Amino acid sequence: MYKAVPKTALYTSTKKIYPVRNLIIFFRRYFNFFLFLLLEVICIVLVFRNNDLQKSAYLNSANSLSARLYERYNNVEYYFHLKATNDSLVKENARLHNMLRTSFDSVSVDNIVKLDTIRHYSTDTTRKVIGTEVRRYLYKEAKVVNNSINSPINYITIRRGRADGLKPNMGVVGPSGVVGVVRSVNENYAVVLSLLSKGKNFGFSARLSYSKEMGTVRWYGGEAGYAVMEDVPKSVKLIRGDTVVTSGYSALFPENIPIGYVESYTVADKSSTSYTIRIKLATNFYNLQYVYVIDNLLKDEQQSLEDSTYRLIK
Amino acid sequence: MSILLRNIIRFVLLLLLQVFVLKEIRLHQLVGLNLYMLFILLLPFNMPRPALMLVALLMGLSLDMFMDTMGMHAAACVFIAYLRPFIINILSPQGGFETTQKTPSMTSMGVSQFLTYIAILVFLHNLVYFPLEVFSLGSFFYLLLKILLSTAASIVLIVLYELLFFSKK
Repeated sequence: MYKAVPKTALYTSTKKIYPVRNLIIFFRRYFNFFLFLLLEVICIVLVFRNNDLQKSAYLNSANSLSARLYERYNNVEYYFHLKATNDSLVKENARLHNMLRTSFDSVSVDNIVKLDTIRHYSTDTTRKVIGTEVRRYLYKEAKVVNNSINSPINYITIRRGRADGLKPNMGVVGPSGVVGVVRSVNENYAVVLSLLSKGKNFGFSARLSYSKEMGTVRWYGGEAGYAVMEDVPKSVKLIRGDTVVTSGYSALFPENIPIGYVESYTVADKSSTSYTIRIKLATNFYNLQYVYVIDNLLKDEQQSLEDSTYRLIK
Repeated sequence: MSILLRNIIRFVLLLLLQVFVLKEIRLHQLVGLNLYMLFILLLPFNMPRPALMLVALLMGLSLDMFMDTMGMHAAACVFIAYLRPFIINILSPQGGFETTQKTPSMTSMGVSQFLTYIAILVFLHNLVYFPLEVFSLGSFFYLLLKILLSTAASIVLIVLYELLFFSKK
C-alpha cells in the first residue's frame, strides 16, 4: 500500500502531521499481544475477585445453566448412592430418637405441656411458667446437587437459595457431622464452602468431647476423609477415638455437632506447646446427598454486641 | 461435516466429559485429569490468533462456571491459545503443514510432531493452571510433581481420545 511513498518521506510526514499514527501502527503491530495481556488480566482479576468470601454468585455453579445441568446429573447419580444415603439417614433418626423426651424415664409424668418448646412450666400442680426459651437455631434441609472433593478448595452446590431464606455465612451440617459454610446464594441455589478447603483463615472452632479442650479444625489438602485439629495444649490427656465436636463459640454452629474422631496425635517439635491431632471426619464427603443449613436466629444480635464491645475497647 | 460444526460438537462433548466424567474420577491428589484443552489444540491451523484466544477464553470460562474456579481455567486456556501459533511454527516443516488437512492431528502433523505439540502445550497449560489452583509457592516440589504427573495423565488421555476418534481422511 505504501510502496509508492519513499520510506523516509513517510516517516517524516507522519511525525509532522499525525503524531497519533505511529501509536496506532504500534498497537496494530502488537495487537495480538495486547489482546492476550488484556484477556489474561481479566482472568486474573476474576480469580482474585472470587477469593472475596462475601461476593454473591454470578458465574459459578449456582447459576441457572450449570446448576440445572448438575441437578439433572445428580438425579441419575443419586440412585447409585441410595443405599449409603438411606443408611446415614436411618442412623441419624436413631440418634434423634435417643434424644427424644419419651426415651427418658422422666420423674414427672405430666408430659402434656412439657413438649412445648417455647415455654417451660413448673412440674407441680400449679404449672406456672418458669421460663421461656427462644428458638435459636432453625434447620432447613437441602439436596446436594454438586459436590467436589479433590481440589484444594472444594465447593458444594445445594438446591436451596435466597427464596428459602438462605444467606451467606450460615453453617451447613450433614446427617453425621459438619459439612461447611454457605458462601454465596442465588435465587434457588447456594454454594457451600466445604470443610475440605485449604485456607489460612478458614477453620472450625472445635472442642474435644472428653477432655473439653478447645482447638481449631483445619483441612490441609490430602485425603477427603481426614483433617487436622490444632491449638490443643500439650498438657491435655488425649484419647484415641475421642469425638471432636463444634464448640458453639462461633455463631455458625450449635454446640456438640460432631466434626470427627481423634485418629492419632503428635507434637510438631519439642519447642511446640500444642498437639497436632489427625482426625477422621464424621461426614463422608464421598456420598453427600442431603445437608441441613443452620439459620442462627440470634446471630445478628450476638454479632452487633461483640462488634460494639470491640469498638469500645479500641 | 463442516469444520465449524465439528468444533462446536467437540466443545460441548469435551466440556461435558470433563465436568461429568473426569471430575468424578479421583485417581490421586497429585494427578489432575484434564482433557478439555484438547479443544484448543485441535482448532484449525488457519484460525486467526485473536479468534483463537477469544474461543479459548469462552472454553475456559464455561469450564470455570462448572468447576467454581473462576478465571483459573480461562487464564490457562488463553495462555496456550496465544502460544499455540509459535509452537506450530517451530514444529512445522519448511513449507508449512499440508493444506489438505486443516486441523492438527497425527496424520496432518506426523505422530512424533503431534505428540511434541500436545506435550508442550499441555505442560504450559498446567504451568499456569496449577500455581493458580494451589495458590502458594511454598510447596514447590509438590507443585512441580503435580504439574508433571498431570501433564503425563493428560497426554495419555489425549492419545486415547485421538485413537478413539481417529479418521484417515
